[in-house]
Amino acid sequence: MDAKNPKELWEQVLTQVELSISPANFNTWFRNSFVVKIDDNIIYVGVPSQFFKDWYLKKFHSLLLKIVRDISYEFRNIEYVIVKDDGHRKVSREPKSRSGAIELPLDEFYINKSDNLNPRYTFDTFIVGSFNNLAYVASQAALVRPGITYNPLFIYGDTGRGKTHLIQAIGNQFKKQYPGRKAFYLTSEKFAVDYTDSVQAGTANRFKDKYRQYDLLIMDDVHFLSKKDKTQEELFHLFNALHDTNKQIIFSSDRPPVAIPDIAERLKSRLASGMAVDIGEPDPESRMAIVRKKAASHGVFLSDDVIEYVSTTLSGSIRELEGMVNSIICQAQVKGSVPDIAEVRQSLRSFTRPQKVVSIKNIVEKVAEFYGIDEESIYEKTRRREVVRPRQIIMYLLREDFNISYPTIGTKLGGRDHTTVIHSCEKIKREVIVDTSLSKDIQSIRSLLV
Amino acid sequence: MNISIEKKEFMNAVHIVSRFSDRKNTTLPVLSSILIIAGDDGIKLRATNLEIGIDLKLPGKVSLNGVVAIPAVVLQQIAGSFTQEGSITLEHTGDLITLTGETGKSSIKTIPYDDFPSIPFPEGTGNRIIVPGILIKNLFSIITPCASTSTIRPELASIYISIEGGTLTAVATDSFRLAEKKIPLTNKGIQGKFLIPAKNAADIAQALPDEEIIISFDEHQCSFISPTRTLVSRLTNATYPDYRQIIPKESIVEAIVLRKDFETALKRNTIFSDSFQKTQITFDPKKNTLSLFARNTDIGESTETLPARVTGSALDLSFNHRYLSTIFSLTPAESLSITAAGIGRPLIIRGIGDASLMYLVSPMNQ
Repeated sequence: MDAKNPKELWEQVLTQVELSISPANFNTWFRNSFVVKIDDNIIYVGVPSQFFKDWYLKKFHSLLLKIVRDISYEFRNIEYVIVKDDGHRKVSREPKSRSGAIELPLDEFYINKSDNLNPRYTFDTFIVGSFNNLAYVASQAALVRPGITYNPLFIYGDTGRGKTHLIQAIGNQFKKQYPGRKAFYLTSEKFAVDYTDSVQAGTANRFKDKYRQYDLLIMDDVHFLSKKDKTQEELFHLFNALHDTNKQIIFSSDRPPVAIPDIAERLKSRLASGMAVDIGEPDPESRMAIVRKKAASHGVFLSDDVIEYVSTTLSGSIRELEGMVNSIICQAQVKGSVPDIAEVRQSLRSFTRPQKVVSIKNIVEKVAEFYGIDEESIYEKTRRREVVRPRQIIMYLLREDFNISYPTIGTKLGGRDHTTVIHSCEKIKREVIVDTSLSKDIQSIRSLLV
Repeated sequence: MNISIEKKEFMNAVHIVSRFSDRKNTTLPVLSSILIIAGDDGIKLRATNLEIGIDLKLPGKVSLNGVVAIPAVVLQQIAGSFTQEGSITLEHTGDLITLTGETGKSSIKTIPYDDFPSIPFPEGTGNRIIVPGILIKNLFSIITPCASTSTIRPELASIYISIEGGTLTAVATDSFRLAEKKIPLTNKGIQGKFLIPAKNAADIAQALPDEEIIISFDEHQCSFISPTRTLVSRLTNATYPDYRQIIPKESIVEAIVLRKDFETALKRNTIFSDSFQKTQITFDPKKNTLSLFARNTDIGESTETLPARVTGSALDLSFNHRYLSTIFSLTPAESLSITAAGIGRPLIIRGIGDASLMYLVSPMNQ
């Protein structure tokens, strides 16, 4: 501990003071005090007003002096100064601006208030590959004759496949092509909140009018509407109103319209009535194109082997891919050079998914529970049919999903020989191909284990 | 301690002193109490909340010296309930103080007074001026509402007092409007300036006597001393903005209106003002009128046209009506002079025949 550090010193003093006076006194007199400076072994204590100064001198001076002398004999005296009202709270040191090249691009967060669209999402930055070609073509067609060709346009696909990018790009393009018309982007969650707010405020009519005025309505993540019956009804009416007047509507979801659970039939059929296209998993070539474009947009040109490595190591979503690219770009900017394959490999280690850690016992427990048998019986030598099958499945899962060696599996499951384990695994492997009920069982067990 | 005081005197004293005790912060109970000191030099009441402090002497008979601290709220309620003439006796025994009047007797628990802070009374040196208390009292009470109520900028939540060339100038602003009032001084030699927190000034205004007082101040505090009482306030330790810069030097139009006309017109206009409290003022030099216009989409709209002597060019400006109506509490003048310097520039209102006051209001964005 450095006794010369004013802040640390004062904290040390205060803890001592707190012990020797009443909490009320401590809170009143010491809460706002601090050490201004230590100069020539005199401690200057900052206090808010003359009231404090007088009282410190009268009541606490000897106590404080004793405490600081205990800490160090060097201190000669304590003086009290009245501090400025506006001075000391400000942080004196502003964060130093780093080199200009990596100034944070704030404009990426800019969102247009009137239509909610993020100008960052355009078709220029959208990579078209075989996986999203259909969706891209459909959206282009919808833009040529909005409200007529595909209405509604329903785009679905797993998270991070670029749904939001695509539909926002449609919105931005629409604004460019048809300057007089109004576009609006929102998430279904926002819609639900808006609706409940308007009901609460008694302005449901204004809510209706608000959404009926748009020429293009884009609703993201429509599957979040499941179970919200009233909001669905409102969307249903809104849909009819817009559809009847030939206004383009675009939805996105993580699954096809028919597969959205807990959503009213009439709405479901309407969602599916136009064009429903899916965005699949990006193929490696597209992923490479995405990585290259993303890096180039930040002014960093990666070598081909780096791009290949990045796009093939992980089978994650495009969003994760972007995350990896961003981390490489950040490194490149900090170091001032483009990283090579070895460095990239090193830095992306954190992106690799953590290995699933599930104990054998846990699996046994889950499987036993699934088949409704006693957990203990798995470990026993019994050959009852209802126990043998689950035991074999456990072995199969341990081998297939968790790569545990045959002998280990054997010893863990009640001291069996490794050949028994091999036999069981082979058996299930064979059967799972022909026996659909078995493969279904295994699938559900797997989902239980995640 | 054993003292006896006139009920009326005691009531007034408690009323004044209790304002200075701490009403919110209860961390230190002794700060929300009144200290009664009975000594050889008479009876004194003291209170402080560490921002302001008071020491008030009051006449009475001391039979036995002593010191006692009593919760201010309790004492104030008791003192407020006195009705008859006569005197009251305070006797301190143990940790109870007994108040005995002609008809009743009440015992109050006291608070240990050891923690009662010393009030930093000035040591006589430094700058001092002598003014009638009533002037300062009026000055503080009319000007404090113009100061900012927010504590973000302590300098704007204060009144700026500058003493120069035999005049005391007090300024208060919340950055939307500004009031400046001057009072003449008898002793001309003193120079100086200080910032007193507006909240403190309001409390001090309530406690100042009408007779002559001595104001003395140093870097950190100021005091107001009369033979019977001493008031102390902390000063704001900050720099006041150079307010003179925003006062327009020239004007393009001036209107002189009767205060009565302006007041009633504004009052009626207020009914129609919107959520921004906007009132539009139109100077019409051709018709010699000043008109006020307000519109509220929910209620309707209203125009008030009042006769005025308008010299200069026609002009429309919008203001917050609350800021306009402040002028009526600032000056007693019968006619008001309203001068404008152009669009987007502040309006200056003065009372005709009242040169001591200048009130400035910033316009709203049109």
